[in-house]
Amino acid sequence: MKREEILGRIRSANSGRENPEHPGPFVSGLVPEGADPVEVFCERFEAVGGETVRVADRASAREWLERFMADFDSVSFGVHVPADLKIVSGGAPSAAKVGVSWASAAIAETGSIALSSRDGRRVQLLPPTHVVLVESDSIAPTLVDAMSRWRDDLPAAIGLHSGPSKSADIGQVMVQGVHGPGRLIAVVIDGRSSPAR
Amino acid sequence: MSFETRPPDYRAASASILARTPEVRESVGSATRSFEQRRWDALSDVDSERWRDWARDVKTHALLHLDRYLEQAADRLEANGVHVHWAPDRSAATAVLDEIVQRHGVESVVKGKSMLSEELEVNEHLISRGVEPIETDLGEYIIQLLGEPPSHIVGPAIHRSLDDCRRLFHEKLGTPMDADPDALAAAARRALRTRFLLADMGISGGNFVAADTGTVALIENEGNIRLSTSVPPVHVAFVGIEKVVPRFEDLAGLLQLTARSATGQPIGLFVSLIQGPRREDEVDGPEHVHVVFVDNGRTRLLADERGWEALRCVRCGACLNSCPVYRQTGGHAYGWTYSGPIGAILAPGMLGLEGGMPLPHASSLCGACVEACPVRIPIPELLLHWRAKAVDEGMEPLSERFGSSFFANLAERPGAYRAAAAGLRIAPWKAASRALPVLGDWASQRTLPTPSPKSFRTLWREGIE
Amino acid sequence: MRVSLFVTCLGDQFFADAAADAVRLLRHLGVSVDFPEAQTCCGQPAHNSGHRRDAERMVRHTCRVFDSAEYVVAPSGSCASMLRTHYPELAPDVGGGIAERTYELGQFIVDVLGVTKLGNGLAGRRVGVHHGCHALRELGVEAQPEALLRGAGAEVVSWAAAKECCGFGGLFSTKMPEVSAAMADHKLETLPDVDVVTSADGGCLMQLSGRADRRGSSPPFIHLATMLWEGARG
Repeated sequence: MKREEILGRIRSANSGRENPEHPGPFVSGLVPEGADPVEVFCERFEAVGGETVRVADRASAREWLERFMADFDSVSFGVHVPADLKIVSGGAPSAAKVGVSWASAAIAETGSIALSSRDGRRVQLLPPTHVVLVESDSIAPTLVDAMSRWRDDLPAAIGLHSGPSKSADIGQVMVQGVHGPGRLIAVVIDGRSSPAR
Repeated sequence: MSFETRPPDYRAASASILARTPEVRESVGSATRSFEQRRWDALSDVDSERWRDWARDVKTHALLHLDRYLEQAADRLEANGVHVHWAPDRSAATAVLDEIVQRHGVESVVKGKSMLSEELEVNEHLISRGVEPIETDLGEYIIQLLGEPPSHIVGPAIHRSLDDCRRLFHEKLGTPMDADPDALAAAARRALRTRFLLADMGISGGNFVAADTGTVALIENEGNIRLSTSVPPVHVAFVGIEKVVPRFEDLAGLLQLTARSATGQPIGLFVSLIQGPRREDEVDGPEHVHVVFVDNGRTRLLADERGWEALRCVRCGACLNSCPVYRQTGGHAYGWTYSGPIGAILAPGMLGLEGGMPLPHASSLCGACVEACPVRIPIPELLLHWRAKAVDEGMEPLSERFGSSFFANLAERPGAYRAAAAGLRIAPWKAASRALPVLGDWASQRTLPTPSPKSFRTLWREGIE
Repeated sequence: MRVSLFVTCLGDQFFADAAADAVRLLRHLGVSVDFPEAQTCCGQPAHNSGHRRDAERMVRHTCRVFDSAEYVVAPSGSCASMLRTHYPELAPDVGGGIAERTYELGQFIVDVLGVTKLGNGLAGRRVGVHHGCHALRELGVEAQPEALLRGAGAEVVSWAAAKECCGFGGLFSTKMPEVSAAMADHKLETLPDVDVVTSADGGCLMQLSGRADRRGSSPPFIHLATMLWEGARG
């Protein structure tokens, strides 16, 4: 069997070699102790061309969506976008001008939004503008933190989106919006119970 | 597309690129120096020495327990609903591809950037079977339209200027000759969008595979890999066996270090963490996911007592960007998929000495690569290792072997050494440069140096005031 | 303090005057200099081209010659690095001893003698410094030559490619002459307006000056030892 053929070659190559230990978990040192993950996420997400909007609650998120959507005639929604935020009737992602997704988490360390395949993948990728609703409670300090939270209930695929689609393949000049969305907006919904921070 | 030359043709191929297409040196030089600057800036923000130690240790641990982690990865992937295949070499890999194409009735394919698929010449194979593969990474798309292989691990088209792209897109996509890069990218986006929607299958590589969760991780900036692995009904990932790492959480560090080393970004703009096909409760995604674990020379390299360390490579391209040799010609001179310093230490191990020499000599041993490598592959030491191995195997020209041995004999006999050195001052230099290969190669590019009127030894004996 | 000069093959034959200047400079700094006449080649060309057995013979010869040296100083970063970095691996029994006593000239003056102010003989000179790769990356010698040149009044002119390889690389320059020459061209194309280019490595200077001569006009290329001696005299 081919599997055994390859594994056999590996075993014979490695026989008699040392067995060094795994070095343990990765610690980046990129999120200072006591830093607010929400602040860090917004800052880093914006640094790579992502846009952030911070709203106090779901009602404000709805208001923001209503204003924003006024400019677009077709929208597609992710499965987990709550009913009260599906302000218009959604259509197919392939024809939509905007996709609205529900983030399963965000990561302060890398300025990333985590998107689950359970929310629908096309809505995350096909429309030229992508709005992602992020609950502030779901923002993890580091990628390791977020991944350890996911590991026991993984969907078919997770996409980490850390800014609008870009490429410098044409003559080393940076262009935006090549295949994926050219505009990426994180609407951060403050989920904290106490109004004072 | 395949290369016009093979690694053994390196000297002639590099000379030809320098002489016939001097603009390549300009494009590659400016792109790599800018990549290098961005890498430098991105790593100065972090404790990069500690990051690199960590990454080296994870990859070393994984490689030295590779049988165990590969088995675990395969079992987990299968439990996730993935079809796992094993390919000891290229012909086995393309046979797997044939089987998948046939099983799912595939006629059109969209591809994300994958160096392994270049190594396996997947496109050529699909075309020979009547299947149309379309490269969707913008750089790969450009070189596919040009009919060229990639010139760089991360930036496949870095040897091409903006004007080259304008001409190409004008010819193939009908854009105006003075179109700006945004307009060119928009034209490619339009041309490829329907391809994504209509493709029967998506092909990707795999940057890493986490053994404990059965996760294939993919890094990109355009979104084309997410599209290729999400939209078509079938996804095939070709993954080199050395890409397996123990833990899902290991990906967190590896993804960040790879991105910072490759392009100076904190993380790729899009990262895919793929566990398997669409679940029942999911609205979209591929119905079938195939992972093909490919050896194709990797276990041969793993078996080499020193050379195996090159398998830690995460394909960030930092060693290419830092390499003053690579900067002169780009990747095509190397005659195979992996170029630059990493290509020069992978080639003799994966292709064999006959197939890989003289790439280990395509280096001045300046050491810039080892400073850049995020997994601390001791590249100069491994270049020397392969050079020595070629000598041990009797592969160098006899003239060089005798020359080296003759010189060592002289160096052990100071009297003879002094007498020979004295000969320098009476030797007819210009005539000798025509007759002796070493001097002739020097003189072909530079003025021959003139020996000092008196050797230092003579000055010393006469007394230095 | 006693220094045994390791003149190196190129130093002996092509940079004899610079090597003599190194001797003058060291004596000027109060160091007594000897020259073990049985010295030959450090073995680097054989080592770099994969001829390990030939290299080891030269390593052992060099270790014998410098066995009793208090310090070994070479007017070459590359050869000094061969002794310091590679000897312990090539001849583990004898290579370690010589390795820790070996220095490149500028490195010795700054790190061992603790001197950075030689004189004022380079006042007003605009100097481009080429850092040889082995001095730079294997020995970590970067600040020392610049400090000595500045200390002698020179202006060290910033050069974007100062730390990029010149393409010499020993036998690399003859195995891959076309690429090697293109590497030198990049150095020369980026060279700022200077009165002189200097380096601790004769091989690099041969490569750069040989290529510059082939291309046309260029500033003079002068070995660091000569520059420093000039600096010390003024």
